[in-house]
Amino acid sequence: MRWRDAAAMAATSIRRRFGRSVLTVAAVALAATLLVALVTIAGTARTKVLSELSKGGPLSGITVAAAEADPSQVDNDSPRPGPPKDLDDRIRSKIIALPDVKTVLPIIAAGVNVIVPEPPAKPDVLAKLPPIPSTVATTTTGAPSTTNVTAPRATVAGLKTPDPFPETMVGIDLERASLMPITILSGRLPTPHSLNEVAVTQGYLTRMGLSKRQAAAVVGTEVELGAPRVFSDSGLPNRFRSRWVRATIVGVVAQETAPGQFVVSIEQTQAARAWTAAGGDAGGRLEIPTSPYSGLFVIASNLDKVNKVRSDITDLGYSTSAPENLVASVQRYLRVVEIVLGAIGAIALVIASLGIANALLAAIRERRREIGVLKAIGARDRDVQRIFLFEAGVLGLIGGTVGTAGGFGTALGVSAIVNGYLTAQGLAGVRLGLPLTVLLSSVVGSTALALVAGALPARRAAHMPAREAMESV
Amino acid sequence: MEGVGVAITLRGLSHTYRTDDGPLTVLGGLDLDVPDGGYAAVTGPSGAGKTTLLALLGGLEQPQSGAIEVGGQDLTALSGDGLAAYRRATVGFVFQHFGLLETLTAAQNVELAGTLAGTSPAQRRARALELLAAVGLAERAAHRPSRLSGGERQRVAIARALVNEPRLLLADEPTGNLDDDAAAMVIELLEKVRADHACTLVLVTHNRDLAARAEQRVALDRGERVSAPV
Repeated sequence: MRWRDAAAMAATSIRRRFGRSVLTVAAVALAATLLVALVTIAGTARTKVLSELSKGGPLSGITVAAAEADPSQVDNDSPRPGPPKDLDDRIRSKIIALPDVKTVLPIIAAGVNVIVPEPPAKPDVLAKLPPIPSTVATTTTGAPSTTNVTAPRATVAGLKTPDPFPETMVGIDLERASLMPITILSGRLPTPHSLNEVAVTQGYLTRMGLSKRQAAAVVGTEVELGAPRVFSDSGLPNRFRSRWVRATIVGVVAQETAPGQFVVSIEQTQAARAWTAAGGDAGGRLEIPTSPYSGLFVIASNLDKVNKVRSDITDLGYSTSAPENLVASVQRYLRVVEIVLGAIGAIALVIASLGIANALLAAIRERRREIGVLKAIGARDRDVQRIFLFEAGVLGLIGGTVGTAGGFGTALGVSAIVNGYLTAQGLAGVRLGLPLTVLLSSVVGSTALALVAGALPARRAAHMPAREAMESV
Repeated sequence: MEGVGVAITLRGLSHTYRTDDGPLTVLGGLDLDVPDGGYAAVTGPSGAGKTTLLALLGGLEQPQSGAIEVGGQDLTALSGDGLAAYRRATVGFVFQHFGLLETLTAAQNVELAGTLAGTSPAQRRARALELLAAVGLAERAAHRPSRLSGGERQRVAIARALVNEPRLLLADEPTGNLDDDAAAMVIELLEKVRADHACTLVLVTHNRDLAARAEQRVALDRGERVSAPV
């Protein structure tokens, strides 16, 4: 008997015993649904948790400070930095050349004075968002600026425009911003090399008296950023003049890659630093850090190499921080959760497979004479075995496929509910990827388990005596 | 239709089943000769060993002792796949219960023997339709057994038995579940098939009239041959 004929006979048998086949397939499908849903949800939760830990950046990210290393703190995730130490291109090149370093991203911070023009938030957007908390904006004064300081001005009900204040803008390589620990709450990041776009952090929202859920209200508003330069006239105290840039807020981010409420292109901070560093026409100069880079964000080739890379950078004399211990510890717990959830699904699948075995054994009992007849007209043991194995395999394949689709659908549904909750809380949602390995493994696994479950019944059928054909009942 | 029968030679054929009450001998040293193309009817009361004899002749069971030769082939030397090949190539079975698969149509049931023999789908389909036409059931080819009468089912079973042009046709109470008209039609069909194919026909029956039509009558009682019908 050909394989194709055995498959056709198995298919016919499944079709003709439709009710039983549907129940058997349903059991496998439910088990596969459970398995896929649990594993997919666990995997997504794992990604989300680790993403939160790494603040949206790669898990193998290391922040290098422009400060000396404290050798006693090397094993800490967030060590106390030592005294300032210049971080320049020479050191950057040395770090790039270290083994297991994948990428090095520069961070340059620059101090600026900030003026927030009215309105500080878009009233029409704000009206559609949750209400403003009762606490009003905190204002900061005392900035070295020539700008007249005025009292907070009421704009939208409950919202006040702050007085000018000093802040830090953080310049990053926006072309590779996806590698940085940044999560966008609303809008987007500035376009690479832009000199008039800026993203703000949650600290800016707090300053405006807005909550995280109201982030969208500041997107599209403007700020004026002034890099200060000191200048002096003979016999007069130092005065300051700022290089003003009017920038549009294009997005709000959840984290600060370095202390500072404005994320801009690295070119913008370079220009601001250059202006400030140039000093005044009479030689007066503001005290700014001498380090060309405020920090570096180093990405190790993988999580296991983080400790080694950190150690190498410490040997170069720089303080580093990375959530490696926290990530490793959380990963261990998540792994346990994944194993437990996977095991629950797998147990369900095994139980469903036992259902297949049971259904086939019942079928064999019912079909004793049919098997005998098949043998009487020339079927070999292996022909009979093939038919029953095909039957088991087809039940497993159909159940596995339906269940896998159902499981992924369930995971999508759960993620939609979770996203709804997270969005309502003003948090970034989870993105459910297409876990091809999980989906494929589920289908293949269901089929394989069904074949294993069908092996014994098939063998029993194969060894059934041909004499059964002669039995009258 | 052309065909060639087989001669059957049994010498000292014995067969015993184990039961809860101890060993039960169903055939005890049976000797039998059926000539090539012969027509033998095996009769006897229940438990006489008729069905066991048919099962041994058809290769459904391996003989325990004695010699059994069909068409010059020693069945005691065959086992497993050898017996399956023998059943496929040499034997055509007709059962009292028809032995049709309820999940298949009449044509698919007839095709089944060709399927097991590895015949191509087109060939076996054509052969099945040809045989169904030969037994007068061409128009019932697409019907499942449950929609056929007893006589029609047995005719489908006969068509299936003929698919591989068997040299030995074994019929176990072929009219046992049929009314008189259907029984007569079936027995006439079997005899016609035997005549057309020149195959050897061995049938087991309780029906003395039916047995009387055979060229050779084999009366069994408690596993042994007796001289007169019981």
